[in-house]
Amino acid sequence: MGKEEEIFGRMGQAVIVGDLEEVTKATQDSIDAGFEPWKAITDGLAKGMEVVGEKYQSKEYFLPEVLISSEAMYAGLDLLLPLLKEAAGGQREKVVIGVVEGDIHDIGKNIVKAMLTAAGYDCIDVGRDVPTPDFIETADGEKAKVIAMSTMMTPTLLSMKDVEEELDKRGLKGEIKTIIGGGTVTEEWKSKIGSDAYGKDAVQAVDKVKILFEEIKTALELARKAREG
Amino acid sequence: MTMREELERPGEVKIIFFPYGKREWFPKGEVTILDAARALGLDLSSLCGGRGTCGKCKVRIDQGMDKLPPLTEQELKHITEEEMKSNYRLACEIRPENSTVVYVPERSRIGKQRLQTEGLEVPIKQLNPYVGKYFLKLPKPTLHDHRSDEDRLLTALNEAYGLSTDLAIDFDLALDLGSKLRKKNWEITATIWKNKIIDVEPGDTSDRCFGFAVDIGTTKLAGFLMDLKTGKVVAVASRMNPQIPLGEEVMSRITHQMMEGWDGVKELQTVVISGINEMIEECCEKADVKTNEIYELCFVGNTAMQLCFLGIYGRYVAFSPYPPVLRRGVDIGAARLGLKSHPAANSHFLPVIGGFVGADNVAVILATRMLESDEICMALDIGTNTEIALGNKDLVLVDSCASGPAFEGMSIKHGMRAATGSIERVSIEPDTFDVNFRTIEDEKAVGLCGSALVDVPAELFKTGLIDWTGRINSELAKETKRLRKGPDGWEYVIAWQPETATDTDIVISQGDVRELQKAKAAMRTGAGILMKRMDVTENDISKLYMAGAFGNYVDPENARTIGMYPELPLEKVVFVGNIAGTGSRMCLLSREEREYAEKISTTAKYYELAADKDFQEEYINAMYLPHKDLSKYPDTVELLRKLGRLP
Repeated sequence: MGKEEEIFGRMGQAVIVGDLEEVTKATQDSIDAGFEPWKAITDGLAKGMEVVGEKYQSKEYFLPEVLISSEAMYAGLDLLLPLLKEAAGGQREKVVIGVVEGDIHDIGKNIVKAMLTAAGYDCIDVGRDVPTPDFIETADGEKAKVIAMSTMMTPTLLSMKDVEEELDKRGLKGEIKTIIGGGTVTEEWKSKIGSDAYGKDAVQAVDKVKILFEEIKTALELARKAREG
Repeated sequence: MTMREELERPGEVKIIFFPYGKREWFPKGEVTILDAARALGLDLSSLCGGRGTCGKCKVRIDQGMDKLPPLTEQELKHITEEEMKSNYRLACEIRPENSTVVYVPERSRIGKQRLQTEGLEVPIKQLNPYVGKYFLKLPKPTLHDHRSDEDRLLTALNEAYGLSTDLAIDFDLALDLGSKLRKKNWEITATIWKNKIIDVEPGDTSDRCFGFAVDIGTTKLAGFLMDLKTGKVVAVASRMNPQIPLGEEVMSRITHQMMEGWDGVKELQTVVISGINEMIEECCEKADVKTNEIYELCFVGNTAMQLCFLGIYGRYVAFSPYPPVLRRGVDIGAARLGLKSHPAANSHFLPVIGGFVGADNVAVILATRMLESDEICMALDIGTNTEIALGNKDLVLVDSCASGPAFEGMSIKHGMRAATGSIERVSIEPDTFDVNFRTIEDEKAVGLCGSALVDVPAELFKTGLIDWTGRINSELAKETKRLRKGPDGWEYVIAWQPETATDTDIVISQGDVRELQKAKAAMRTGAGILMKRMDVTENDISKLYMAGAFGNYVDPENARTIGMYPELPLEKVVFVGNIAGTGSRMCLLSREEREYAEKISTTAKYYELAADKDFQEEYINAMYLPHKDLSKYPDTVELLRKLGRLP
């Protein structure tokens, strides 16, 4: 095993077991050894979070374990992200994430945010009980192409619909894509309100966001080709 | 759309049965509703064995009716026209091609839902109802005494009973007042509510004065016919809340209002009132009382039940910070609501506190006398929603959390509401991992009800089958074949198929354990945050009132072992049953109590749990068994250490 592989392995393992001290140490070791920060994220921290996600899906892990692992991952990220910004090509895709208007239950949103961050996205967290315009204006201002919305309650499902309608009204539908999820959200609801994706759980949410960004890329390519004739 | 459910499976349809709350997938178009009910072990009756001849298996189709084929010849023989209008079908005759929601009415069931109505009896401050009946002998009019009938009545009431001469007279009563006074030679009984004469009857009927107290639970209704002269309960009835098919918990009910608009508001109101009317009729029949001898009705329920009962649009209550529409108690004519009672009867809905903490919790605080106690008490009213109150005469804080759905069997694979055949007690042998269980009425097992859903995680934990994070210890699969990998991951067999009335083993899965952890953590967080905000420790609490039907059957030690409530010595735990119903009765019987209820609604303070800065941390810590912070559970920890379960 190479040294890089060994250190990244330690980082991943520390995330899996949620060992804050070890993750900080391993990440520092990686920085000291001069390894690429983006590689330390994807092959170290994110690999660990991936395993956490699998364990969560199989119900072997539960909310506490996932949150502890997320904390460990953020501890590593805190050290690596500043370096990433200095390095060239450190641009991460932006996702605006929050709990919709009327609801203040945000544990699920925090987990999705951790998973998305691990997967390399720059999450702009707008918090909970977020007024409809705030989602859109933040996405617009930050040039984020995806809005991720969550709710745990049934009545606040309608707030998701409000966001979709507002996007439409402002002519941003399609340009800004949406993904919804949370305790009461279903695939059916996604279709009904015309959202672009639905994530059944945090792991699926990451997969769906990836697909959304691929779609955006493809659309941009097509538009570019069309322009070039 | 009441809760997260898998919506589609190729080639299969989902059939949901109410009021059991059981649901399963079946091959599309192949299985009759009767077959499906049998596969799930439900007690749908059928004498002819599904040939469509006995007509016993009538069910109401609450969703998916439009997708069913027209009535068969057999059905046309048994289903009346009125039943057709209400979507009744014969369960043995239809094979759903689409997902269907089925309601099995009481008369088509063999067994019974267990609905607890009794609550601790608490002495009222004074038997002093708002309604009173007064017998009078009036002087006949003469040439020298030509006062109006009205003045004659008012003066007599004043002279005989010292009542005010300013009493109002219900206008409808005036229409035939003249005959009523004269019919029995000027001997009459006047019925007075507050400062209004609502009835005059010829002769002496003063011993016939009744009232009806109701507890509108999200899941259950309880009704009490009360003799207002003696203060005694004369008959009791209960029902499942007929609103359940329109939404299983409070938020879904309000969502129904939002999605369907005024039709939905009306529908929720109509069905609950018809359920209450059924209880009124049942009680009146039992006690030989006429419905028009009921002169006042008193209601309690959480804020969502208040909205749905009164027909108030609740959209804005469902959004954080959940402000109720009306806080104070509401007086409204029973006739206007369509309640079966005297045409001029009043119905009173007790005041609410805040958020979803409603009149039922006012009733709990009232009946436990918490706000008059020097010592600090905690009350847990465990239902579909759990309300938690903590405090003493200086301050009572209340909050609520959605805990019930899991313990009422929703979102639990083999969960169900307490009814004939549900497993209610479970213990696991530590050496052999064998399971002992008891079912309600000793029938073959159908599913697991709330009290068993507390026993199961506690027993799994004590025997090491799950660890303190709730994870199933798959290593033990070597020791017992009950622990196995099922379609949804690891699961533990509670009852083997031959011990059940169903066609499968009854199991608890890893996913089920997770749901129960969430539910118990919600309750524990509700208690923990209030303790923190009031700076109260376990030692300061002198009594823990466990209210609600579920609270009455649950094993307190097992509930404590999984950390459903803070660790208190078991002798401090007091089971009070349906104490919300008790409070409703007290406020029917006594105006002092009703005024006191108003006071409680402003003195007790609502606390919004999810907005607390420590909510997430508390909630996550409470997911562990019994708790992340073991120092909060010294006795439980000692027990577990002896069993070798904790380091």
